[in-house]
Formats: sequence, C-alpha cells, structure tokens
Amino acid sequence: MLGLFGTLSMANRALQTQRQGSEIAGQNLANVNTPGYSRQRVNIATSIYISTQIGPQGTGADVVSIQQIRDALLDRHIGAEISVRSALESEQRGLQFGQAALGQLIDRQATGAEGAAAASGVGGQHGLAEQLSDLFNAFQSVSSNPTSTSERQVLIIKAQSLATQFNQVADRLGDVRTSLNESLSSDAEQANIALEDIAKLNEQIVTAEIGGSGRANDLRDIRQQRIEDLAKLAKVDTVANPNGSVDISVDGTTLVSGINVLDTLQTYDAGGGQFLVRTSTSGTPLNITGGSIKGTIDARDGELSALQAEVETLAATLITEVNAVHASGYGLAGTTGESFFSGTGSADIAVNAILVADPGRIQASGVSGAVGDNSVAVALAQLAEKKVGALGNQTFLENYGQSVAKLGQGLNNSDAQLANQQIVENMLLRQRDSVSGVSLDEEMTDLIKYQRAFEANARMVSTIDEMLQTVVNLGR
Amino acid sequence: MRVTANTFPNSLLSQLTSLNQRQNRLQSQAATGQRVRLPEDDPVAMRRVLDLQAESKTVAQYERNIARHEELANASFGVIKGLKQVSDRAREISISADNLKSPTELKLYAKELTELIKQAVQAANSKNRGDYIFAGTKIDQPPYVMTTDAEGTVTGVSYQGNTSLAESEIASGITITTQALGENNSGSGPRGLLADNRSGADFFNHLIALQDHLLSGDTASIEATDRENLGKDEDNLLYHIGSNGALQSRLETTKALGGQRSDTLEALVSQETDADLAETLVRLNQTQTAYEAALQSGGKILSSSLLDYLR
Repeated sequence: MLGLFGTLSMANRALQTQRQGSEIAGQNLANVNTPGYSRQRVNIATSIYISTQIGPQGTGADVVSIQQIRDALLDRHIGAEISVRSALESEQRGLQFGQAALGQLIDRQATGAEGAAAASGVGGQHGLAEQLSDLFNAFQSVSSNPTSTSERQVLIIKAQSLATQFNQVADRLGDVRTSLNESLSSDAEQANIALEDIAKLNEQIVTAEIGGSGRANDLRDIRQQRIEDLAKLAKVDTVANPNGSVDISVDGTTLVSGINVLDTLQTYDAGGGQFLVRTSTSGTPLNITGGSIKGTIDARDGELSALQAEVETLAATLITEVNAVHASGYGLAGTTGESFFSGTGSADIAVNAILVADPGRIQASGVSGAVGDNSVAVALAQLAEKKVGALGNQTFLENYGQSVAKLGQGLNNSDAQLANQQIVENMLLRQRDSVSGVSLDEEMTDLIKYQRAFEANARMVSTIDEMLQTVVNLGR
Repeated sequence: MRVTANTFPNSLLSQLTSLNQRQNRLQSQAATGQRVRLPEDDPVAMRRVLDLQAESKTVAQYERNIARHEELANASFGVIKGLKQVSDRAREISISADNLKSPTELKLYAKELTELIKQAVQAANSKNRGDYIFAGTKIDQPPYVMTTDAEGTVTGVSYQGNTSLAESEIASGITITTQALGENNSGSGPRGLLADNRSGADFFNHLIALQDHLLSGDTASIEATDRENLGKDEDNLLYHIGSNGALQSRLETTKALGGQRSDTLEALVSQETDADLAETLVRLNQTQTAYEAALQSGGKILSSSLLDYLR
C-alpha cells in the first residue's frame, strides 16, 4: 500500500515524467532543421513495484532513458555511399576542368567564310581541331600559289594561331593538374581536422557515458556528422567500441583509436608532380577507395594525364613531321634547311622566327631555283591525310578527335554514374530521414499527449491534497 | 514510410533541381538547335562531327584550289588562242609565198613574220599574277629570250624555263596542273606547248626558218619543209587547246562533286548534332508543366501543418 503520501509522491514523479516528455518534444521541435540531428524519444517505464498483501502494486512511472532513434546500419551505408558520390563528383569536376581547358566545342551557328559548318570555340578560334585543319588548308593554298606572299603570310598566321593554341592548352592542362594537386592537399588537411574532431568527440562521449548513465545523444549526432564529412574526403572504415568511442581507419591503417589520433594524412610528390596521399608515419601511398581524394587522383591520373600526354605527342609529332618535310625545300630566294616549327612539344611550339620575319623563306619548292615548284608545299598539305605511326596510325585530326572523344566519354561516364549514385544516396537519406527525422505533427501530438497527462496528474495531486485535508479534519 | 518534417522540402528540392536541370538542357538545345555541343554530350558523335567538319573544310579548300586552277587554265587558254592565230597567219604566209611572188613581196612577208615572231614571244612570256605561265616551275623569269640582228630580224629564240610543272591537289591525293610547259625536248614528261620532240613541234625555230627563207627568197624550201613543219606546230597547239578544254571540264566535274560532298557533309553533321526542334519543344513544355505543378503542390503542402488546426 502506498498510502496518501506515497500516492502524492507518485503523482509528483508522474508530473516530472510528463514534463520531461514535453521537454524532449521541445528538443525535437527545436532541432527540426539541425543537420545531422536524429530525433529523441523518452522511454517511460512503470516504477518499481512494492509487495503488498494483495500482491505487487505499481508505484507510477519514471523516465528510464532518452533514446536516440538512429539506425547504425543505415549510417554505415550512407557513409560508404557519400564516399562514392564524393569521389565521382570530384572526378567529374576534374574532367570538366579538362574539357574547359581543351575548349573544343561544336558551334553550328558559327559558319565562317568557308561557308561550311565550322568547329569553333567561343568567339570562333579556340578549338585545336579547327586550327589543325586551317594549317593544312593553308599549306594547300600555298601549294596552289607557291609564289604568292599573301598566301605565305596567311600560312604563317594560321600556324602561329595553332602554335599559340597548343601553348594555351598545355598551359591550361598544367594549371588543372596543379589545382587538382592543391585540392588534394587541402582535402588531406581537412581530413586531419576531422580526425582530430572525431577523437575529441570520442573523448567527450566516453566521459559523458561513463558509468552507464545513458547515451550522449547529441554528441553522437555531431560525431556522425563529422564522420560523414570525413567520408566525403576519403573512404573510411569505422569500428564502434563498447565504451562509445569509434575507431577510424583508412585502407587498413588505423588513424583514430578511441580518444587518440594515431596518424594523420599527408600529401607528397611521388615524382613528376604526381601528388599522392600517405600517412605521416609511412612512406607508402594509401590506396584510398572513395571520397574526393580518390576522385581527384582518378581524374588527374586517368583521362586528364592521358589527354595531356596525347596533346603533347600530337604537338611533338606535328613538329617533327612538318619540319622533316619542310627542311628539304627551298624558299623563294633559294634558302633551304630551315625548320618550320621551333620547339619540341605543346608547351614551346612556335613558328620559326626566321620564317615569321620573312614568309618568303617558307620552303615550298622542292627544286633549287624553281620558285614555281610546289612539291614540298603539296607534301606538307598531304600530311593532313598521312597515317602517322607515332599517333597510332591515325592522321593528326583523327588522333585529336580520338583524344577529345576519350575525354568526353570519361566525363559522360562520370556524369551518368554520378546521376545514378545521387539516386542511391537520396534513397538512403530519405530512409534515414524517415527513421531519424523529426516530424512536426508527431511532436505536436506528443506535446498535447504530455500536456494532457500533466494536467491529469496535477489533478491527481489536488485530489490527494483534498483527501489529506479530509484526513486531517477527521481529528477536529 | 514515415514522412517527417524535412522529407517534403528535401524531396521537393531535389525534384525541382532535376526539373531545372532538364529545363536548362532543353532550353539550351532549343536555343542553339544543337543536341551535341560539348564532348561530354555525346563523345562518339563529337568525334564523328570533328572528322566531318575537317573534311568539309578540306573540301572547301579543294574548291579554292580548283578556282585557282581554273583561273590559270583560262589565262593559258587565252594565250594559246593568240599563239594559234600567229600560227594560222604564218601558215597562210607559207602557202601564199610561192614562186609566183616577187622578192619584194616575199621581203614584206618576211617583215610581217618577224613581227609575228615578236608577237608570239610576247604571248609566250605572258604572266598570271606575276608568274610566267609557260616557264615550267622557273616562273620568276621570262621563259623565252629573243635575239635580233641590227635590222631587227629575229635570229633566235631560246627557252630558259625548265621541264617540270607544279601540280596541286583538287581532291584527296589527286594532283593536277593546268599550266602548260613552253618547251620539252626531253622526250618524257608533260608535252611542250611550242616545242616538243615527240610531236616534232618547234614553233619559234620553224617561224625563224620561214622568215629566213622568205628573206632569201627560197620558196622551194618553204614548200618542201616549212609548210609541213608549221603544220606540226599547229597540231601541237591544237593538242594543247584540246587538253586545256578537257582539263577545264574535269575541274568543273570535280567542283560539282565537291559541292555535292559538302552538301552531304552538312547533312551528316546536322544528323549528328542537330536537335529535333519539335521534340525538344514538346519536351520543354512537358518539363515546364511538371515544374509548375511541383511548385504549386509543394507550396500548398509546405504551408499547411497540424499547427494550423491547434488552438
């Protein structure tokens, strides 16, 4: 038997319980838009019973715990998918840089003086494809008019704009590489900050939960958020410890163990400007399988470096092929042996300064003393159709077209993969939102539920109070 | 599924984003009329279009080369016609100059022939765009040099051009020349216009011989050799007039073929890159409707909650 005072204290506890219920509803409402927040629920259980002659009797209700509604499996899935998405995103970003650097696009509206549809960049003269065909066509013009200074001048100008375009593309692709390397370094730095934060949060969680006094829900929310931030940068594996801390490892190397950061990430130059990521204490690169670090490395070492190499080969081959033919010819004044292009690759290709100064020295004639001969100019023009061994038995334009198509294919693939990945991630996020998200309707009904219960229990107190008065008045 | 406070805004946002992306893509397709613009749009089509456009530019270049060839062929034809007139007149003279003519008359003929030779040399040294037409590839100097004696009689005309011609492309791998060679006694290569040992033509020397025979009154030699020789020269000129005409019609044909090819290329590029405008616009409309519907329904749902009904 509780007795009147026992009942009064039961009503008192019940009031506290219902108040706490509305407090949690309030906490949920307050955090409805907090990123990473998962809803909480008060677990109410009947208090310990007491034995009486007529059997056990209940003593009201108590709040036993505040539970966070979270699905650990879902969290892990989302972490992994975030890594995949982030990797694809940064790969796509890197390739888009490459596409922009190349500046090759089809503009059907740009119908030049040639009448036919012209491939052109913004403003007309940017794509390498157009300038390559312009060069060979200018050779043609010189071949059909070998003594014309104006045709020679046009050839010089076309060759110069091709050379400049090569320089610019090489420059831009180099810049893209540099900026990708920089973003690797900043990713690694951010990852290190996240690792430190996670270790700190581990410490706070372990301290808060010590002695089994419930869970540090909000700290766990923040830690999950930080783990997902980290997953955006690099794919990590997490292991939950019984004391509430989480261990973080990358590619089998433990970086955070409990409350300690064992190791950090570091970028280093693996040679030739190829920045890779390793741990500070190890010399070997980590094989990171997800996150923006992986995407950046993939884009840089995949399509982009292939493109860079192909543009380089294209320029170098153009220089050697054109020069080999040109050197054997004779200029208008009988000069011979000059090269047409100077330089050795895409970065330094330029038109021989001697020819620029005097286009008459372009060696179009194949016979000394016969200025009307055009055999060298014809041979130069016919290089456009030549299948060159160094270019995989393709012509210059075919080879360039293939490079463009390869880059486009890579970008196209990552576009498609990213779209798919987005769907997967969205589905999982929706699922998590459905489990852990705050529903306003639910919280409002909870609020009313607890309010009513509070009112009822308050009535209980006043009823017991009246009963006590009755009892006290009995003695009068 | 449990729908929570953020489920609606989140999914509305992602729906609106994807509708916006689609609208943007369709709008830019409608505006540019192009399905493919960047390599990522359709890499395979991009590559084909690059090849097709390069070919189209090459075809345009061949057209320019052909125009240049036509110009030269026309210029040569004009000169050859002039030379033919000289040859006609010389033959007339060789026929008129028989043993019935007096030495004075023959001398007058000789005078006319000297002028004809000078006219022919002048014609053979014609230029087109500053280049000597009949000098082979030594187009920077006059192909014929004439020597005369004190009385102005032509004593010799020598050729100082060479025997090769510059050919340039009129289609992939096909080179031609519309230039005629002044003289070719090597027995191989292009046929000489005024002298060629294969046809026996040697215009200037034959004219000089006729001039000399007229001066000396040697009508027997005129009858015996000069008439026949001049006949050979005329045949040779006729051969060149014929081949010039054949070349011009070949150029016409090639140009027409090039024009057809460039139309075909245009159609192929269009097939690869152009957007179907009707389809694009219908899709754009569809997407716009969906976008508006999403905005309207989303706005309605977001603005109402249980709070509106609690007092």
